[in-house]
Amino acid sequence: MKIKEGFILRKIDNTGVVVPVGDAVQNFEGMIILNETGIFLWERLLNDAEASDLASSLTSEYGVDAETAERDVNAFLRKVRGAGLLAEQTRSRDTQHRK
Amino acid sequence: MALYHFAGLVVEMDPQHPTLLKQASPYLTQERNVRPDITIQPEKGYIDAIRKAAPHFSPDMAEYCRFGTLFYRALLYFDGMMLHASAVVLDGRAYLFSAPSGTGKSTHTSGWIKRFGARSFILNDDKPAIRFQNGVLYAYGTPFSGKSDLSRNAVAPVAGICMLERGEQNWIRRLTAEEALPFLYEQTIRRLTREEGTHMLETLIRVASSTPLWRMSCDVSDEAVDLSYRAMSGVETV
Repeated sequence: MKIKEGFILRKIDNTGVVVPVGDAVQNFEGMIILNETGIFLWERLLNDAEASDLASSLTSEYGVDAETAERDVNAFLRKVRGAGLLAEQTRSRDTQHRK
Repeated sequence: MALYHFAGLVVEMDPQHPTLLKQASPYLTQERNVRPDITIQPEKGYIDAIRKAAPHFSPDMAEYCRFGTLFYRALLYFDGMMLHASAVVLDGRAYLFSAPSGTGKSTHTSGWIKRFGARSFILNDDKPAIRFQNGVLYAYGTPFSGKSDLSRNAVAPVAGICMLERGEQNWIRRLTAEEALPFLYEQTIRRLTREEGTHMLETLIRVASSTPLWRMSCDVSDEAVDLSYRAMSGVETV
């Protein structure tokens, strides 16, 4: 999965601010505020990544334990998926089956 | 094409219909041989296109709205943007009250005019331009002021921006930049290209991090006017 095309991110202190541009405005007309972890995950998801990749990169970047990383990733994914900002991929379907 | 000065920029355009011609006339400049910063030239057939989507729009209104949108989109390239707000100037400083239509922005600023008389005037009752120049945020009157024709060819540094809501009780509090950003974003042009949107977001963040921002709930009363004035101007007693 990855973030859909048509969003821009700018930072103010440790807060990320995301708005849609171009055609993306047709589907999502709002602003997303991200904390530091959110910015990190957003930038990872500009390229294709799975939840497990995100969690492990969060662990190595911030030194949080695996459980916390997974919880943070899931909360983030719920937020961006709920807003319809994720382009889902079927590439690594077996990762989902294992759950 | 005729040359105008809007928000400190030289704008070239040739409106044909009475509303825009009249509202833009105070901004005409006699300068010649200057290069326009902005040229407003809508695509051919735009009036028919607008009226197809919104048949109640007269050609006059279609021109006024289209030119306004084109100007405010071009303004994004000059450290500026439109804010949907009623802007009042008092003692040389601009106070902007922003909110969705129907909240009572104009009602509130007209209370300021009643209260302060000749010390104050309405800069733009609906869509002022705000623009950074030499690191200072200024508010400008423009010909584009929504349904109202209340606007003046004038400029003043911005003392504060207040996001207004209607309520039974009167209160006002400071907003952090992060709190204010979604409100500000809601009150400007959102349908933008990637390039325009990037400029807009950068200006928006600069506004939010450099300007006193407020959230106010108010009814229609003199008390509400005193409350916003005292808080936003930094004056303890009126």
